[in-house]
Amino acid sequence: MTTAHVRTDELRPMSDIQVAQTRAFIDGLASESQTYWDMVDIGDELSRDLTITPELVILYADAVEDFNPWYEGWKMNSWLIPGESPFGAAIVPPLLVSHFVLSVQFDHTKPFAIGSIHTYHDSEIIEPIPVGATVRITTKAVDKYVKRERRYVRHEVTVTDVTNGTLFFRETRDILSL
Amino acid sequence: MTATSLTPTLSSVLFTRDTPVGYELQTIKKKAAIQLMGSRLWGRFNPNHWDPVYAAETGLKAPIQTGEMSSAYIAEMCVNHFGVALFRNARVVCKYVASTYANEVISTHGIVREKTPKGDGYRFTVDVWAQNEAGEKKTVGWVEVDIGV
Repeated sequence: MTTAHVRTDELRPMSDIQVAQTRAFIDGLASESQTYWDMVDIGDELSRDLTITPELVILYADAVEDFNPWYEGWKMNSWLIPGESPFGAAIVPPLLVSHFVLSVQFDHTKPFAIGSIHTYHDSEIIEPIPVGATVRITTKAVDKYVKRERRYVRHEVTVTDVTNGTLFFRETRDILSL
Repeated sequence: MTATSLTPTLSSVLFTRDTPVGYELQTIKKKAAIQLMGSRLWGRFNPNHWDPVYAAETGLKAPIQTGEMSSAYIAEMCVNHFGVALFRNARVVCKYVASTYANEVISTHGIVREKTPKGDGYRFTVDVWAQNEAGEKKTVGWVEVDIGV
């Protein structure tokens, strides 16, 4: 595909300085990047703890325009509130933790493998996660395979409560690598 | 409105043991807004999700939305219909079969494929998908959920 006609600002208005800042940002990402395929070995296991703050939940919910009040442990004007859901206090949207798996399976101590694409997930929602919980997200690379000349990396994931070990969530997911 | 009841409209579409095979879920619609696609939460670290130039260099006709956004839309539709049941012993499987491009309007859909007796209720299997306005499917999968068990 020829890219000469494509403009940085064609989907949203930008001034010259915004275009220059954008190109510099992307050049910085690209210069440090490796392919995900080359970054991962089968058997690699990574784990990080994430506190799912009320503000993080709002950030996620707003970014998918989901305004279900069950997820609100933070409200404009009131700020921190316990929230209310059928489980008691506010709970985390069902697939929020699935998104944050990305920040574990892509080793955050290394440059991000830009150009990778998430293609599949099989997610088990086992227990509701209370807003404010600290969860441990653990990912293990279980397969690397090529299908129709495309390269995929498969991970298995668990999300548990750091305090009491409750298994909240389990997932199998595939990433298409450049 | 209370937090637990949501709205009367949503309460009326909650699944029961009697919900039949073939029942169609009510659609959710969203626009693939470039400002959301390029936010720090979603795709800022991967320019395929928000930069037209980088996307073109990797062979895409436009920036593509992260698949997780479609999954979240499908989950929102499912919470409307399954309520609390989606948060315990449920399963959501999604395959991103085609790219969702910036500015496309995406709608979610679902139809009950089967219901298997379990305890005092049923385990429902619901085929779900997200498509654009031309009817091109972008995400396909299924959801399993216990109702009245």
